Amino acid sequence: MGVSTALRRAILGATLALAANSPSQAAENLTMWVRASGANAAQHLVDLWNTGHADKIGLTVIPDNQVVSKLAIGVQSGDVPDVISFDLIYMPDFMRAGLLTDITDAMKGDANFAKVAPAFTHLATYKDRLYGTGFTPDVSILIYNKDLFRKAGLDPDKAPASLQDIHDDAKKIRALGPDVYGFYFSGSCPGCNIFTTSPMMVASGAKILPANGDEEPLAGTGVKEVLQLFRDMWSEGLIPKSAQPDNGANFVANFKTGKIGIQGAGGFLISDLKKDAPNLDFGVAFLPGAKEGQASAFVGGDVVAIPKGSKHSDIALSFIKWELTDDAQLEGLAKNNILPSRTDLATNKYFQAEPRVVTTAKAVGIGYVPWVFHFNDMVNSDSSPWIQMIQTAVFDGKVDEAIATAKAKMKEIANE
Amino acid sequence: MIAMRRGAVGLLYAAPALVFVAVFVIYPMLDLIRMSLTNASLLGGGEFIGLKNYVKAAGDATFWGSLAFTARYTLFITPILIGAGFLLALLAVAPPRIARLTRTIVFMPVIIGLGSSSLLWVWLFDEQVGLINKLLQDLGLIAQPMVWFADATLGLWAVIASIVWKVVGYGMILLVAGIQSVGADIYEAAMLDGAGYWQRVVRITLPLTLRTIALTTLVSAIGSMLAFDQFYIMTAGGPKSETFTSVYWIYQNSFIYFKQGYGATLSLLLMAIIFIASTAQLLLMRRGAPT
Repeated sequence: MGVSTALRRAILGATLALAANSPSQAAENLTMWVRASGANAAQHLVDLWNTGHADKIGLTVIPDNQVVSKLAIGVQSGDVPDVISFDLIYMPDFMRAGLLTDITDAMKGDANFAKVAPAFTHLATYKDRLYGTGFTPDVSILIYNKDLFRKAGLDPDKAPASLQDIHDDAKKIRALGPDVYGFYFSGSCPGCNIFTTSPMMVASGAKILPANGDEEPLAGTGVKEVLQLFRDMWSEGLIPKSAQPDNGANFVANFKTGKIGIQGAGGFLISDLKKDAPNLDFGVAFLPGAKEGQASAFVGGDVVAIPKGSKHSDIALSFIKWELTDDAQLEGLAKNNILPSRTDLATNKYFQAEPRVVTTAKAVGIGYVPWVFHFNDMVNSDSSPWIQMIQTAVFDGKVDEAIATAKAKMKEIANE
Repeated sequence: MIAMRRGAVGLLYAAPALVFVAVFVIYPMLDLIRMSLTNASLLGGGEFIGLKNYVKAAGDATFWGSLAFTARYTLFITPILIGAGFLLALLAVAPPRIARLTRTIVFMPVIIGLGSSSLLWVWLFDEQVGLINKLLQDLGLIAQPMVWFADATLGLWAVIASIVWKVVGYGMILLVAGIQSVGADIYEAAMLDGAGYWQRVVRITLPLTLRTIALTTLVSAIGSMLAFDQFYIMTAGGPKSETFTSVYWIYQNSFIYFKQGYGATLSLLLMAIIFIASTAQLLLMRRGAPT
């Protein structure tokens, strides 16, 4: 063996070794955690990513109620996924606890990121730094039964545009029969009510939850106006009695029976209704405020972020940037009837045939999401001041007392 | 020397059980005590804060309210479970055909998960499609369907009905074992003396199964004091937090509010209360038991 052959072999060997160790050459396998209720939507995006990228992402579905503990324990032990998607409402708590990676500089110049619904960017910002962005949104809307509107002599193409409209239309629908009701809401479900009732308050000018102990909770007349509307409808029998104990199990089930005129719901209901009640003619609109022209929505769903300690944070960041591209938003989400998190894509080729989905997608752009620590304490738990306020106001009729008690309790929680 | 060797061998035999208890009982218990002295959160952290959690618990009206509600639930359901369990046990030691039928029918719900059975009863009590409202209406007992879970008292009794159906078979089986351990010769002697069925039940069966009844009562009372699933699924603590049990409140603090340290404190307090109540119950029953 000559010197040149040995040299060639040495060079070849070194090249192979370098190639093997080079991160730009070797395909990596990433792990992603997603909460169970967002798994279907996430899977579409991950599948699309995997078909077009050498680096593959494997999805691990985590039960909804275990995401918080698994992430916290994972960050402490150094055993975290490369990227994670979770219920957006936990974002402030996760950012403050230092569980997520700062992606401010990487996202600053991204043209697609600039088009993401403001609610997501607002929620994912802590002390002027960004820690995540929108992933698979859902949003609240007003839904109404057009068949019942017709029977009641109402214009089926004119959705209630104010609180007064809801009241007036509900009365006319209730008059249709003893088992037909004008309005429905889940009276013992805190999550359902922050999703569908609070936007009516926000649309009416109220601010619901305090970001800190210095801010006033439940501020503005909108809170009382909406609670009074619900109380009046309850007293007048426009809402079925079954609404009082409903902890969310019948959130949308009653509407599917065709005997409910109007209610707040989520965008997910459109495909559900088309599947479960194909003959039900229903309309979709923004959740209105006290005056005509006022509207809002609660932006829910999942955000995406990189946990602190991610072993492939660079590729995870590429994934986050990619999921905001036209291709991912349209072919991964819209094509599968999932709302995009970019507001400029609310009207797209996949939604054209279904104007109700376009309305829902537009609601993401006008929607709000409260930036608050201790969301579960204030709102989501079965004993929260939020649900206590609604129950005391609507079912006991003590509207002012209910608001005052909830305000005091929320302040106490915000100060913790 | 031999005694020492025997001691060492004995220790060796007991070692697996000791290790098991140390790892799965003593260590978690010590860690729970440690955690109760911190502000540990599900999100991480956990600084030592001394007895602050205990001071907070002393003034936690919801915790004491939930404890009172749990005690009320226990006081209501335990006599029903024991009484019904004893009567069913009498049926279950009757002639073979009746015994087999009773044991099968009554014990079957025991093998269903508590979550599944609670969901089943939610639908049975539903005011629109539930069979119970329909039955009560057909019997003329109510004019309109009742909304069971909109009222704390009605909700409590709805839960009690579901749990009696679910677990009465368990007590029945324990009591059957107790009744069958009474010698047949005692009953034969009583019958020769002319004792009727209920006289034999009251004078022989009841006194001689008192220890089993005491054990069943204790197990039932402890289980009721730890009630969670049925209320979580059927009432969700409502209306207006009036049906929160102690364990439900501990769960809320530990996993919904993320306050693990405070949750640990409440768990220890509940454990101490149940321990004291159970010890008192055992002492009272021992004093009343026939010697």
